[in-house]
Amino acid sequence: MNWARFTAVIAKEWAEITRDRLFLGLAFIVPPILMVVFGLGMNLDVEDIPLAIIDYDHSPQSRDYAYRMIDSRYFDFKGYLHDERQIAKLISRGDVRAVVVIPPKFGEDLVAGRAVAVQTLLDGQFPLRANIARGYIGAINANYSQELIANFLSRAAGFSPDQARQQMGNLRIEMRMLYNQSGKSIWSMAPKLIMMVLMMTPPLLTAVSVVREKERGSILNIYASTVSRAEFLLGKLVPYAGISMVNGVFLWALAVFYFQAPFKGSFGFFLLATAIYSFTTTGIGLLVSSFVKTQIAAVVMTMVVTLVPAILFSGMLFPLSSMGPEAQAIAHLAPAMHYGQVIDGAFMKGIGLEKLWSSVVSLLVYALVLFVLAHRFFTKRPQE
Amino acid sequence: MNFREVFQHMRVMTFKELIQFRRDIFLLIVVVYAFSADIYVAGSGIEMELKQAALTVADYDQSPASRDLIYSFRQPQFKYQGMEMNADHAMDLLDAGKTMLYLEIPADFNEALLSGKPTQVQLFVDTSNSVLGSLATSYAAQIVAGFGIQKAMERLSVGGAMGGGLPMVNSAHRVWFNPNGSDRWFVPINEMITMITMLSIMLPAAAMVREKERGTVEQLLVSPLTPLEIMLPKVLAMTFVILIGVTLAVFGVLGPVFEIPFRGNMLLFYVLTAIYVFSTAGFGLAISTVVNNLAQVGLMVIMLLSPMLLLSGAFVPPEAMPTALGYLILLSPMHHYIEIVMGIFLKGIGLDVLWPSVMGLLLVGTGVFAFGTWRFRRQFG
Repeated sequence: MNWARFTAVIAKEWAEITRDRLFLGLAFIVPPILMVVFGLGMNLDVEDIPLAIIDYDHSPQSRDYAYRMIDSRYFDFKGYLHDERQIAKLISRGDVRAVVVIPPKFGEDLVAGRAVAVQTLLDGQFPLRANIARGYIGAINANYSQELIANFLSRAAGFSPDQARQQMGNLRIEMRMLYNQSGKSIWSMAPKLIMMVLMMTPPLLTAVSVVREKERGSILNIYASTVSRAEFLLGKLVPYAGISMVNGVFLWALAVFYFQAPFKGSFGFFLLATAIYSFTTTGIGLLVSSFVKTQIAAVVMTMVVTLVPAILFSGMLFPLSSMGPEAQAIAHLAPAMHYGQVIDGAFMKGIGLEKLWSSVVSLLVYALVLFVLAHRFFTKRPQE
Repeated sequence: MNFREVFQHMRVMTFKELIQFRRDIFLLIVVVYAFSADIYVAGSGIEMELKQAALTVADYDQSPASRDLIYSFRQPQFKYQGMEMNADHAMDLLDAGKTMLYLEIPADFNEALLSGKPTQVQLFVDTSNSVLGSLATSYAAQIVAGFGIQKAMERLSVGGAMGGGLPMVNSAHRVWFNPNGSDRWFVPINEMITMITMLSIMLPAAAMVREKERGTVEQLLVSPLTPLEIMLPKVLAMTFVILIGVTLAVFGVLGPVFEIPFRGNMLLFYVLTAIYVFSTAGFGLAISTVVNNLAQVGLMVIMLLSPMLLLSGAFVPPEAMPTALGYLILLSPMHHYIEIVMGIFLKGIGLDVLWPSVMGLLLVGTGVFAFGTWRFRRQFG
């Protein structure tokens, strides 16, 4: 590896980047824009689920029960329905996502001490939200039942209402929500967003920068020169990894100052991990570039192999532990997951290299393997 | 300008595009991959449910009651991971993500349940994934509340003595359109829509910019072709390619592999997909007039596409977004298209219910395509 030739390749690449003003601007503007748009729009809190109620009973008890749903901040009450036949249309159109059906004799049965089943119809189009809505309704029912039983006991067994309530509710659970006390998704999302955004642009830029030379024919200059394969590839890698790192710092600042995400770890550790991650992501681009001959193919291919894993398998939308074995295997194969764990630890948990070293080492191995593969597949003597 | 001549031009140019597409083997492979293996990978195994969340317990009571409670946290939502009485070690486990929940049961637990004295268990939940966290907390709260009621009833020997009945509200749930609440349907369909959207913006844009970059656009401009005759064949050819890809996805992956029922009208699905692809290509055309090389195309597409993917209601429905964004996504053709595809696929509904989404798609699509055409004619006219 000759230092002068290596830096010459970097200087050439950098000159090309800076002379394309639109490109240069986009390279630094796109990541922060993505971060802000995602951060504002990707609200994973499940609140305001549009809800309708059918009350066949019209008793004081059923109204009281309905108000528990209506008052809940998790539901956005759209109104009472009169007919079950309306449900299909409303749910099909997405006007409501849940309908609670209170059966006839609801109040009468409860007063008589009989159990009542309340049916909930849920829109399965968004399974996650359907599950959470089911949880909320179950919790409201459990809570209501507890009170009903307490009242019933106080009447039937002669406890005072307070005693009955204490007897029924003597077991309590205290929840401690760690790492993200408010449970608000925007906090927990910010670090994952950094991971995702840094996966989106750098591989693409690197791949296109190599393939452009192939397509335009300027790569013949490289083939004919004394520049070695490693010098050329590394020279291509460094400028884009540098751009990615600078973007990483911008995004960090956005996360901390704009999204107010808590940063409990060390900044040096974040920089180190981001640097390694940058070499990994650009390495993906480098590897793609050694297979394809046209820029279109390079663009489409990098987007398919980076965007999808970054969104789906990084543990951002879908918790890793709930994936099937195949998906888990893929997730572990994707560097995004490891970096996600690293910055999640650095932001939310304030832990560093001493606990996250295995993820950092995995990233490093990725960077090396990707580079070695790209080096292997890149040839200065192409056979046409 | 006579009609036959126009038709002839369009036909020749469309074939030229298809031939060019076919000759780029890697592009061909990637497009096939996008509509088959990619959808398979995305759809297999991802479920947005709490599953096997690791639970570590500090049981200071070691009584039958405490074991009962631990046993109530059962599979598939929870997985008992073991005992860890040392709180510091337990925090380390939480830090490292090795356990998600840590439950502390006090020493007086059994006694309190027998006597009715107040007691409380403490649960630490890793909520750094807020979705998982909220599911875990709500399940845990239900489990403990149910356990408390059950023990209280045993203690007061109600139930038996009272003649069997207790007034309580039980939940009966029915999930429509996706009876198992399974994401094995939801995710693959979404993934197909994502691929359609991505390719229908990118392929026409790339096909145009390639001509610019190689200089062949000059040849086209001095030919007798009008700007529309240059532009439309590219869109037509790519629409054709994408429709073939969709066929591969629907009949090769969604049906056989994921067993997703196709409940609606197939013809309606194809017509609306063609309209969607054609109009979304307008974005690609608009992009191709702004940029000069494919690197710029890539960045512009990412800038446009990523927000569209995440904010079109594929993962987050409109009602969960801030109000302004909720209205803004009405401008995204993808949003209308998602409603249409989910409606036709899973709900089996037709134009009678879908017409607002179809109108939305037509309006937004026409707008996008008109904008693309206008930019294009201004640059090349």
